[in-house]
Amino acid sequence: MAAGFRKPSVLPGFGLTLGFTTFFLSALVLLPLAALVFKTSSLSWQAFFEIMLDERAVASYRLTFGAALLAAVVNAVFGFIVAWSLVRYDFPGRRLLDAVIDLPFALPTAVSGIALATVFSPSGWLGQKLALANVQVAYTWIGVVVALILIGLPFVVRSVQPALVEVQRDLEDAAETLGASPWQVFRRIVLPAVMPALLTGFTLAFARGIGEYGSVVFISGNLPYQTEITPLLIVIKLEQYDYEGAAALGFIMLVMSFVMLFAINLVQAWGRRRQAAAGR
Amino acid sequence: MSIALDQVTKRYQSVPVVNDVSLKIEQGEFLVLLGPSGSGKSTLLRAIAGLTEIDHGRVSLHGRDVTGVSARDREVGFVFQHYALFRHMTVANNIEFALRVRGVRAAERRARRKELLRLVALEGMDDRLPSELSGGQQQRVAVARALAHRPQVLLMDEPFGALDAKIREELRRTIRQIQRELGIATILVTHDQEEAFALADRIGVMHQGRLLECGPPDDLYTRPATRFVATFLGAANLLLGYRTPDGVRFMPPAHDDAPPREVVAVLRPEEVELAAQSGALRSNLVGYAEVQEVLFAGSSERLRVRMLEDGPVPVAPGSDDATSSVLEVSRTLPEQRDLPVAVGGRVAVGARRIHVLPTPISSFTVVAADARQAQVLRDSPIVATLAARMVTRVSTRLQRGETPPPGMPVVATGSGSAAMVEWQLRHGATQLLCMPPAAPVPTHVVIFAPDALVRDATFAVAASLLRHIPAETIYLAIHPESTPQQSRGACLRELLDARTAALTRHGLDMRTETRFGDVGPELLRELLAHDQTTLVLGIADLDRLDWRHLADLLEGAVQRPLLIVRPAAASGAGGGP
Repeated sequence: MAAGFRKPSVLPGFGLTLGFTTFFLSALVLLPLAALVFKTSSLSWQAFFEIMLDERAVASYRLTFGAALLAAVVNAVFGFIVAWSLVRYDFPGRRLLDAVIDLPFALPTAVSGIALATVFSPSGWLGQKLALANVQVAYTWIGVVVALILIGLPFVVRSVQPALVEVQRDLEDAAETLGASPWQVFRRIVLPAVMPALLTGFTLAFARGIGEYGSVVFISGNLPYQTEITPLLIVIKLEQYDYEGAAALGFIMLVMSFVMLFAINLVQAWGRRRQAAAGR
Repeated sequence: MSIALDQVTKRYQSVPVVNDVSLKIEQGEFLVLLGPSGSGKSTLLRAIAGLTEIDHGRVSLHGRDVTGVSARDREVGFVFQHYALFRHMTVANNIEFALRVRGVRAAERRARRKELLRLVALEGMDDRLPSELSGGQQQRVAVARALAHRPQVLLMDEPFGALDAKIREELRRTIRQIQRELGIATILVTHDQEEAFALADRIGVMHQGRLLECGPPDDLYTRPATRFVATFLGAANLLLGYRTPDGVRFMPPAHDDAPPREVVAVLRPEEVELAAQSGALRSNLVGYAEVQEVLFAGSSERLRVRMLEDGPVPVAPGSDDATSSVLEVSRTLPEQRDLPVAVGGRVAVGARRIHVLPTPISSFTVVAADARQAQVLRDSPIVATLAARMVTRVSTRLQRGETPPPGMPVVATGSGSAAMVEWQLRHGATQLLCMPPAAPVPTHVVIFAPDALVRDATFAVAASLLRHIPAETIYLAIHPESTPQQSRGACLRELLDARTAALTRHGLDMRTETRFGDVGPELLRELLAHDQTTLVLGIADLDRLDWRHLADLLEGAVQRPLLIVRPAAASGAGGGP
């Protein structure tokens, strides 16, 4: 076995599995991404910047990343609450609710999008009521956020759930006997223990939100400059046989997503280090 | 009074896990709650801390009723079995937690932390994380953390359970020292009797949710009141003996008119004397035995000897099976040198000191017409359960004999049983269990005693029964319908007196109810109200007893188990055979 690798586990097949890992990562992830970069590089710098800074494109970045971020934040809060009630309380229908959480995973996203659009359209069940309050969800940026919340929720719930199970009841009891109020118990004991998992869930939901296409196109209305997301813009360019333009936008999304996810990972690592070094 | 508990009861799914526990603990006292797992001791501790709500009763800390007060306002220190340290905080932050949530200034917090770390001998560990400490050190931190806010009460739930023996002993000493230094009322829960002896000013023994006995360790060890405490605190041989004018003897006394009075005696392994011949014994002879097992245990020698049938017949605990007549013996090394024994050797066994348990139920004797019926009765749920839990003997008697058997006779209900019961009672039986063989173990026990003379003995038997069977208990007082309205108040007072007597004299807590009507029908109605009911019935005067009603209970359409108590003192007045 080559020196420098970590000592293989008792399970056999280290060489085989590493080979597979490398092959599949290359064939399925790295190669297509490289092709994307390659295609983009056929553009001149000027053409590339023109596409990148086009007003319509910039508006779509703002919507895509802004809505994904907002939806991820909302999901972090509500997903935590959902996970909490699933873990800490036993109520009739708990198992059913637990199963329902996964539905957005399994449903074709287009179906979710059409369903949302129906419910929230000005003539839909909820849309009618909201229209009375002068709020329009469908065909506005709010609709995009709503769609992304639906898509991202399971990521947060499924990340936080196991971490919450791990928080020992003893710890909360101990904090209580020491005089902590319920809020202090939550803030100082439960939250720090769940924070890494919550951040992971947030990151997953955010990443998913950036790339989401199917559900959004049905509810956003796709108005240029207003409710048009970047993935849609790419599709539009493809339909016009503007392959270079599509590749350039894809490349830009790739870079921005990577930077953001990397930044979140850094924050997480920093948090862990800070926790480990607390008070030292 | 630092901690006062008054009839604390906690149920899970209507099963009481803590059953009417009343207890007082003085300032500076160290109480150890000892019991097997599932005895309710941890639940009781959590109830005192306010971590578990109770269904009934009161908890007071320093004279303040805190029954409805949340854990965070009770100002107690609690130490958990698995430390429950906050893993993401340093030792310093863990210890300061209680002060931080109270908004204490940083300088003051630091001073208190230094003081506590010195107290638990962990100076300089402030900046470590819990994961960087050993188990013993983590528990020390947990103790320091629990004391930070200067609680008036320290509660510890098996704090040494997860530590190995050597560290356990060291930490035990530290805790005892700290407790003395601070003079803080402390309750520690454990299942380890050695730990209890090492730490306690007083030991409270819990079993099946009840606090059976509470007292100084040496008292509980030398003079236990119950079988459970005798066998749970240290090793004990339980022997059946007979009370004679010369003291307790282990051979059945010569034939006599009255049945012999049987008692349960505790013989500690270290109080057993072995000799080659009975003449060489310096203590009372129990019987002859064959050595079955010899174990060298360092400072002592442990043996198991099987009592032999020849010579004086010993009466050892257990049913008639093979393990029944085995005695545990423990000898010092000098004793061993004086009389070396080998497996298979024959020895005379003497008892240097025995302690007679005040328990009224000693053994059971099934009285039946034939062997098959006897076996059915022996195997019945009630007899089998009681014999197993009481670790006592069940004998069989196919002929009625001259006198009732010693201990408690067991007879089947049904046709002809009333005559048998009458014969047993008229010939001096003081207690009698009559039941349909298939009757389940009761979940509901009704106590009835017609007058004050037999009440105490009835309560004693009922208490003994209820120590081994967790059941709801109700004491019924039945007065004639004709009782005038103005004297009904006196009936109520009498009822309360009865309840107090049961609680203080026998540790038996029960609900009470008054009925106005005829005794027979009222009892029958109460018995039929629940499926798994048993009646504990006190009988005073046999001549004034309404035998017809008794026959109704014994031979009627619906029969319930019936435990008849007729105190020996009352038999003089009632007239014997």
